[in-house]
Amino acid sequence: MTRRTFQQACVDAIAEEMRHNQDVFIMGEDIGAFGGPLKSTDGLWEEFGSQGRVIDMPISEGTIVGAAIGAALQGKRPIVDLMFLEFLGLVMQQLLDSGAMHYYSAGHMRVPVVIRAKYGVGPFPGHAYDLHSWAANVPGIKIVAPSTPRDAKAMMISAIRDDNPVLFLEHMALYHAGKEDITEDLPVVPIGKANIIRQGNDLTIIGAGLMVNRAKQAAKKLAQLGIESDVIDLRTIIPLDKETVITSVKKTGRVIILSEAVRAGNSAHEIASLLADHAFNWLKAPIKLISSPTIPVPFHRDLEKAFIPNVDDIVETACSLLDNNADNKGILAYER
Amino acid sequence: MTQKNNLYQELYSLMIFSRILDKTIGAHDGHWHGLEGEEAIVAGVYHGLRQTDILAPHYRGSPVAAYAKGADLRRMIAGLFSKSTGYNAGRHRGDICAPAQFNLIGLYTGSLGPPLGYATGAALAVKLDGRDDVAVAVFGDGASSRGDCHEAMNLASVQKLPIVFVCQNNQFAISTPAAHGVSGSIAARGAGFGMPGIAVDGNDVLAVHSAMQAAIAKARKGEGPTLIEAQTYRVAGHFYSDSEDYRAQAEIDHWRKKDPLDHFRKHLITHQFFTKAELETIDNDIEQNITSAFEQALKDPAPNVDQLSEEYVYAGELK
Repeated sequence: MTRRTFQQACVDAIAEEMRHNQDVFIMGEDIGAFGGPLKSTDGLWEEFGSQGRVIDMPISEGTIVGAAIGAALQGKRPIVDLMFLEFLGLVMQQLLDSGAMHYYSAGHMRVPVVIRAKYGVGPFPGHAYDLHSWAANVPGIKIVAPSTPRDAKAMMISAIRDDNPVLFLEHMALYHAGKEDITEDLPVVPIGKANIIRQGNDLTIIGAGLMVNRAKQAAKKLAQLGIESDVIDLRTIIPLDKETVITSVKKTGRVIILSEAVRAGNSAHEIASLLADHAFNWLKAPIKLISSPTIPVPFHRDLEKAFIPNVDDIVETACSLLDNNADNKGILAYER
Repeated sequence: MTQKNNLYQELYSLMIFSRILDKTIGAHDGHWHGLEGEEAIVAGVYHGLRQTDILAPHYRGSPVAAYAKGADLRRMIAGLFSKSTGYNAGRHRGDICAPAQFNLIGLYTGSLGPPLGYATGAALAVKLDGRDDVAVAVFGDGASSRGDCHEAMNLASVQKLPIVFVCQNNQFAISTPAAHGVSGSIAARGAGFGMPGIAVDGNDVLAVHSAMQAAIAKARKGEGPTLIEAQTYRVAGHFYSDSEDYRAQAEIDHWRKKDPLDHFRKHLITHQFFTKAELETIDNDIEQNITSAFEQALKDPAPNVDQLSEEYVYAGELK
């Protein structure tokens, strides 16, 4: 058993996969002797560099992802370190193509590519954009956003073994934030399976990445107020674990969906729409989405902090949902 | 028959195949991207590639690339009409997206440029696996302006990849003449990326073929990429129903007189490689094959709406 950070867990997963599958290799900018942005490839150059399987790339994001796709079509299993999700715009055409290839080729083509991207408001200045919703509109792409080191490792392994393009999101506020015990026999976390990390009957709080931490903290505060929450860590954003989400909301009748991305075109609207379709008769209050406002990510720390959903936002919204409900008069109103 | 006769017959066959296919499909579909005047390039570039070589053809000539790589004629033509029997099962247009089964890379969403990156990545896989296959990426003077083109050439040269870049310069990007879209010489850009840049007469099939063979041999030996600029003129419109009011008829007529197929036919007869009658037999055989495949493909069924199932989008675990 080792105690690993999110960043170390990602690197461990890649190193293990590279050790037992010669087809796995990694390419990206500054992933050589530098060790990758935020140490995202720490140690890989030393172990695999001489085999030509850790490839430093010119600043050509579109063609880096393009080359990964081309190599994947030849049976390789490339991992791209895109550096930051902020660069997603530079690779959108390649992403669109890669998601279409399996379908357009009548099932003949497979594109096992993992695209790693760091994102999110965190301890590092800049590069915070959460643009995953753009990719959520691309058919054939999978998007994962783990919230813990254990899940990061297990899901990186699942992503590398997946035969489809996977956008793997690494939140910068979680990256070096804390360690978790990771055992040798780490259970498999399949892509597309959410995790219920706390159970309650009054409310469902749904999120991924950093939002899971916010949801957990909010649920603790709410419990002190007598409100018990289901907290769902989505882990995978696309394809969504519809069953887990619907089952929970049918049980609680109230839901708050969290997203660090801006509100306009946010992938979380898809969850709201799903619940409106499949859980409407069970709802005791309106479906709530707490997201960042639709403005460019600001830079000053105070602005950044206020930009993304925080624990108080969640608690306040939760209380309003409970207050609106005549059946729950006994529950204390949250006092600000 | 000598080795030379064999090669010449194969090149001639590809050229006449391209010409007849063009006329057959063009008469049926006004959106067909005609290839008149560019047959020497497609034959010279696509001839003789291995099944395991990777090819990202220019969309103008992509069906000829598929045929040269061994695609079944009827299925290939069915793909042009998006029939269920086509290689793409009617899910995508077969004219710009050739069958992956033959290591062909298409335009999956119709955007020029990214296929150069895919071919470069395929060449990277070839290098990593220690194979002696090559990748070939073909693009027009139009796509030569894409950043993808520059990025791919730079990356291929930095990594010394087994790839041949071919610019099928027909002097038009739809209606935009190269004078408005391309600054300087495309072949000369090779030097800027640290690879040989070779300009060839794109109306001379033997010149194109010989430049191509040299570049492929170099790539197979692990000596890195080459850029070939095959210069020609798009005698055809951008598509068959193109009104072409952006250029002068006299210019088209001038280039039609330099027709690469006529030129090669004369060469073969004058130098007594083949008689006129022998070439006509080849023409007739190919015409017959195309006509029969075309008629069959037209009768083939359209795709069923069950092709719309989301189940087809993701690749599952290999059984």
